[in-house]
Amino acid sequence: MNIIECSSLTKVYGAVKALNNLSFELQENKITGLIGRNGAGKTTLLKIIAGYYRETLGEIKVFSEKPFNNLLVSANVMYINDQMNFPTALNLKEILNVSSTFYENWNHELADRLFDYFAFQQTQQYNNLSKGMKSTFNMIVGLSARCALTVFDEPTTGMDAGVRKDFYRALLKDYIDFPRTILLSSHHLDEIEDILEDVLLIKDGTKLLHIPVEELKEWAIGVQGSSAAVNDWIKNREVIHSKNVGLDRMYAVVKQNGSESEIQRAKEAGLAITPISSSDVCVYLTSKNKGGIDDVFIKD
Amino acid sequence: MILNMDGTKPIYLQISEWLEREILNGNFESDQKIYSQYQLAEMFTINPATAAKGLTLLVEENILYKKRGLGMFVSNHAKQIILNKRKNQTLKKLVLEIVMEAERLNVSREELIQMIQAVNVEEAGE
Repeated sequence: MNIIECSSLTKVYGAVKALNNLSFELQENKITGLIGRNGAGKTTLLKIIAGYYRETLGEIKVFSEKPFNNLLVSANVMYINDQMNFPTALNLKEILNVSSTFYENWNHELADRLFDYFAFQQTQQYNNLSKGMKSTFNMIVGLSARCALTVFDEPTTGMDAGVRKDFYRALLKDYIDFPRTILLSSHHLDEIEDILEDVLLIKDGTKLLHIPVEELKEWAIGVQGSSAAVNDWIKNREVIHSKNVGLDRMYAVVKQNGSESEIQRAKEAGLAITPISSSDVCVYLTSKNKGGIDDVFIKD
Repeated sequence: MILNMDGTKPIYLQISEWLEREILNGNFESDQKIYSQYQLAEMFTINPATAAKGLTLLVEENILYKKRGLGMFVSNHAKQIILNKRKNQTLKKLVLEIVMEAERLNVSREELIQMIQAVNVEEAGE
């Protein structure tokens, strides 16, 4: 079953297209990572899914309904970002108590245990928390709500390394206990890739890839060797990154085509083959030009 | 963490290799039930679908077999299959790389074989 279906989704702010003809489907009970550079349109997409923004063009369905101003969607979608609006009149404990009345599947035992584990005080005020503590509290609300669609928009902002690790593990454990559809946006693919099933990679508001995370790891390979040999080998292949190293050597990253014999041919030609991590694949695919930041420093 | 999360080798392969080692070590006997995808996911903090892919790979190679509704079990010839596979695939590849590196370094075949024998002697002496 598809939880989210969107086709040709477009969102325009003035002269800027934040989303541009974006189409994809999200299946039930999968953990998907939404990956993209700053300004790629991640938050816009997530806010449209959660029903906060209305799309400009195209179609979006969440639980087979249009999400904007929709009660069914509001009741079954949890959207967590770093600008949560909790009532200032309530202390932390009261926020949890009130939240529990909003969500059908709310697990108050989980909320209490996480609350104690992360050493929150009942009478603390949300607005007095540090950035990292706010994110941690948001995470508690997001997990405990156990919504059929749980959306985390950059949930780890400000969290220290230990808390981030705890968060990913808590997310996975509660997902195993209570499977649901989870959409997680992050800049740190290397941190979250282990718990993901699929990756949705977007650039300039359009979809670049939507594949299982395990395929992303084998999506590209790096070759290094003499410029002539590398240039010869990468002919007719999709090059996503290249860089000159030293005097006459070159490093290139190309899309895998699964051909063992070509790898063998490269090795025989004296080229060194290296695997490319999924986060590097994403960085190369989403960069504006093939040379990356080095292109800025080229002097004529 | 027992897995090598270096971001390069697919995790499902690491899972299946880890399970193979568990079988080779004798931690799992023939017809014994092996970890479920959820247990593996919990143990290594990985997505259950990834763990399932690692298990499926071993089913395809007849190292594990499925009992509907009961889970996955170690097949009778699991150890032998794993040993053969490692010998024919992993070891062969390693040997190829050693031979190629030796050629790059102008190390003769005889010298290479001597080096290998020297390693054996050292290890036997331990």
